[in-house]
Amino acid sequence: MTSTAGVDSRILKAPHPVPGAPDNWKRFFSFNTDAKVIGIQYIATALFFLLVGGLLAMIMRGELITPEADLVDRTVYNGLYTMHGTIMLFLFIFPVLNGLNNLLIPCMIGAPDMAFPKLNAAAFWMVPVFGVILMASFLVPGGPASSGWWSYPPVSLQNPLGHLINGEALWILAVALSGISSIMGAVNFVTTILRMRAPGMTLGRMPIFCWTALSAQTIQLIGLPALTGGAVMLLFDLAVGTSFYRPEGGGDPVLYQHFFWFYSHPAVYVIILPVFGVFSELFPVYARKPLFGYPFVAGASLVIVGLSLIVWVHHMFPSGVPQWMRDVFMVTTMLIAVPTGIKVFAWLATLWGGKLRLNTAMLFALGGLFNFVFAGVTGIMLATVPVDIHVNNTYFVVGHFHYVIYGAATMGVYAAIYHWFPKFTGHMYYEGLGKLHFLLTFLGTNLNFFPMHPLGLMGMPRRVSSYDPEFAFWNVIASLGAFLLGVSIIPFLLNLVSSWVRGPKSPANPWNAIGLEWLLPSPPPAENFEEHVPTVISGPYGYGTGRPLVEHQDEIERALLKA
Amino acid sequence: MTSTPQRFPLSRLIGLALWLGLLTLLSVWMGAQVPRWLPVSASSAAPLVDGLFGFETAVATFVFVGVVSVMVWVVLFNRAEKYDISDAEPIEGNTTLEIIWTVIPLVLVMGIAAYTIQVNREIGLIGPMDHSHAPASASSAAGASVPGGEVQVIARQWSWEFRYPVAGVSSTELHMPIDRRLGLQLESEDVIHGFFVPAFRLKQQVIPGRSITLFITPTRAGRYRLRDSEYSGTWFAANQADVVVESEEAYQDWLRRASRLPLQPGLSEASREYAQQLSGDRPSGYATIAPAPPPLVNVPGSNTLPHDG
Amino acid sequence: MTISPPLDAPPTPQGHEAAHANHSLTGFIIFLCSESVIFLAFFTGYAVLKLSAVQWLPSGVEGLEWRTPLLYTVVLVSSSGTVALAERCLSKGQLWGFRAFWLLSMAMGAVFLYGQAIEWRSLSFGITSGSFGSCFYLLTGFHGLHVLSGILLMALMLQRSFRPANYAAGEQGVIATSLFWHFVDVIWVMLFLLLYAWS
Repeated sequence: MTSTAGVDSRILKAPHPVPGAPDNWKRFFSFNTDAKVIGIQYIATALFFLLVGGLLAMIMRGELITPEADLVDRTVYNGLYTMHGTIMLFLFIFPVLNGLNNLLIPCMIGAPDMAFPKLNAAAFWMVPVFGVILMASFLVPGGPASSGWWSYPPVSLQNPLGHLINGEALWILAVALSGISSIMGAVNFVTTILRMRAPGMTLGRMPIFCWTALSAQTIQLIGLPALTGGAVMLLFDLAVGTSFYRPEGGGDPVLYQHFFWFYSHPAVYVIILPVFGVFSELFPVYARKPLFGYPFVAGASLVIVGLSLIVWVHHMFPSGVPQWMRDVFMVTTMLIAVPTGIKVFAWLATLWGGKLRLNTAMLFALGGLFNFVFAGVTGIMLATVPVDIHVNNTYFVVGHFHYVIYGAATMGVYAAIYHWFPKFTGHMYYEGLGKLHFLLTFLGTNLNFFPMHPLGLMGMPRRVSSYDPEFAFWNVIASLGAFLLGVSIIPFLLNLVSSWVRGPKSPANPWNAIGLEWLLPSPPPAENFEEHVPTVISGPYGYGTGRPLVEHQDEIERALLKA
Repeated sequence: MTSTPQRFPLSRLIGLALWLGLLTLLSVWMGAQVPRWLPVSASSAAPLVDGLFGFETAVATFVFVGVVSVMVWVVLFNRAEKYDISDAEPIEGNTTLEIIWTVIPLVLVMGIAAYTIQVNREIGLIGPMDHSHAPASASSAAGASVPGGEVQVIARQWSWEFRYPVAGVSSTELHMPIDRRLGLQLESEDVIHGFFVPAFRLKQQVIPGRSITLFITPTRAGRYRLRDSEYSGTWFAANQADVVVESEEAYQDWLRRASRLPLQPGLSEASREYAQQLSGDRPSGYATIAPAPPPLVNVPGSNTLPHDG
Repeated sequence: MTISPPLDAPPTPQGHEAAHANHSLTGFIIFLCSESVIFLAFFTGYAVLKLSAVQWLPSGVEGLEWRTPLLYTVVLVSSSGTVALAERCLSKGQLWGFRAFWLLSMAMGAVFLYGQAIEWRSLSFGITSGSFGSCFYLLTGFHGLHVLSGILLMALMLQRSFRPANYAAGEQGVIATSLFWHFVDVIWVMLFLLLYAWS
């Protein structure tokens, strides 16, 4: 951002300011409709809230380093863990993935922008709005929502001060706004993928990331309305005094659990599917081999979508559901292991016999895969009813969940950020800082989340502000891991900021990768290929085959080199 | 999971067999470690759960270590040389392999599912979780006959009360006879709670407006912890009680002695802390629902004595 | 709920404007599918609560009077027909015919809403009268909001029909609005069956 020299000439005459062009940082604070600007807005906002959510987590781990409730009051602890979960899911992981979607989907399929740019910008700007609403709930009398990110009634309906505006009401409002924003985003992503692909890019030639994004956004479209409906009823129960869930008026508190998990289990696949996409993009690039079994990997995503919608009751095995329901939902849950296994084996086969290049992005992808496999095998344990009955609502689940969301998903997001950083900022990142970030993250993740498994097996319930002394040992280790994770963010942010400001200029294709986005200058101009969209003539990941991806590939690459 | 099977030199086959053998040994050993990670097993359901968990741990170890060893192998031996910018051999897929690694996991998870359903049945036989959906009107009339079980468990924000209607005893410590199937009738007066005794490996949500009967057969004498397992508000973490499993004679003797004791406030950690906050001895935070007053019981019992699990 | 599709062309260069407009219908159909899940969730909740209820109707309430609502149902459902007629006129280029049928449909929608308001005022139970009252007002109210949105969307399309040559090449907005209107009608039929017919 310091000089105009070396900036692609198309960027300078682009109708919109674009990332990397000089002196136009103000566009990130405007209602900009360029998907690449919106993508970076999403990611920056999400990283800010990662810091907020992480800070809350570290206070919680500070409380849990000793058995007694001594650092903060119990009410404060309950608010902290509720807000930690809510922030991390609705203000970090969903927005950061939508950021990746915005950056990658149009570039990967050769579209100039998203199908509905204004809707796209509106969907983004709702994020800071509900972020502020959620943060404001710390300031209202009675404090923030403190019934967990599940917000199960009747405990979530207890309103000690009786105010109409209370933490729980603001929480429901924020979650509803988040849902509307996500649905707007999902309509946009699905339409873009279905309608705006480059000539020659059939569905069967689409990069896996787009397949997984399509699958994940389909889940959003089917699942989110159910949660929104459930949340509306919760709000009515809380604010108006209706009896959807209140037992005293004939309501059914377990009904809410069905609505909640009908969306919130598939939501985990909304999170992990794009990360599967990232793995599928990165392993071929850094192993210099084609993705093993592309059609199977793509198809497995669709199978996961179908199955993800019929597993939700596995969160409710101890909720008083009949035995036949437990058996049926256990079987469907187990089945998900099959398409997931197909993907894992495909990645292993891709790596096997490759020529691996272990830069930061690849290390994060490998670390993410390691953690994901661990989360996968504990997931199978959780699927089986008798074991689940024992560890349900204990730290075992918390450990499993964080291995998925932090160990696999967030590390996959880091991998994606490093991999595509040169493409969208036009600058290379610093490998040394990146590897330090990886090392601290990998150690911190395992140190923080592994001890939760023995704790859960021993019977320590989740969401407790104090615990029996026999749990102290593993909790101390987990807390140390959490603080290490806090430290791990420092080299990451340092790397992002310093690389963007003064990192070496990036060529169009620094990793020698195959894909439409690498046939664009770094950073790409506002309308990507504009009217010169190349015609795709082969499938993705043709590493080592010598197969060109598009017509006139040599000319395009020569032009990029000259520029 | 391994190399593409085009031809099999003997050394490769031996290597593969050695690797699988080591993996199997490690998995079996890990499966045998399970009892060390779990609390003592004190109910008839516990050995079944532990057996299933041990089996799953062995399978999980096999899968996890198998995958990780492949990752370690490629990271160690399939690295590109420093200035090597060439591509690797382009293998784009192998349908036979795909079918193998679809079918094997499918058979495996279905096998685990079948085993689990079997365990479910057995646990169901020794202690079915009956879900009578009658509204909890019985809780108002103390001493009314309990249809499902002989102990009425009442969860409140934040205390546990155990009533023995036949003996006319109430307590904040749960006493159970050993080796006899005991029905517990779970009721809540406010929000959803969770009845969870780790040593029994059993857990059940206690849902307001419903009365759920849980059958347990304790198999080991001792003092265990009952924990609230479903987040229930401010003092959720302090909502614990002790479970005493003793011989039938000791149990009957305890009931007899308890019925003669006068009523007094039972244990409620929440009420104690709340009172401290009101008097200013303990800092308070955000507004909270006030704890329900401690139930009046014959035996408060203890929740500070050392427990076995 | 934001229900209006981005009918205006986005501020991008000329070449993409036509392409974007083509996508609005795709996007809108995807949105409608998603929206139907909210209703599905409400319907399921209603059915579960009703089936598991010990006492479903609030004390003193006999049941819902269904004859007058049936009349309004007929009005709403036939407005789907008039919308279709309006579309046919538009495709034949008869702008005034389109406007007449379009306005008639809006009026029928308004009559339905009026009938709903009358019914709400005459009922002896409120939204806090147990699960039944909660469900009744939530379902009819949420659907009523959709009818209102539909009328507003139609008004927008009607106003656009006065722009010179605006609908010369067909109009995605009109197709989307009429789809939305049919959707609202189908939902009402299901609602009527659930609330009034199922007892």
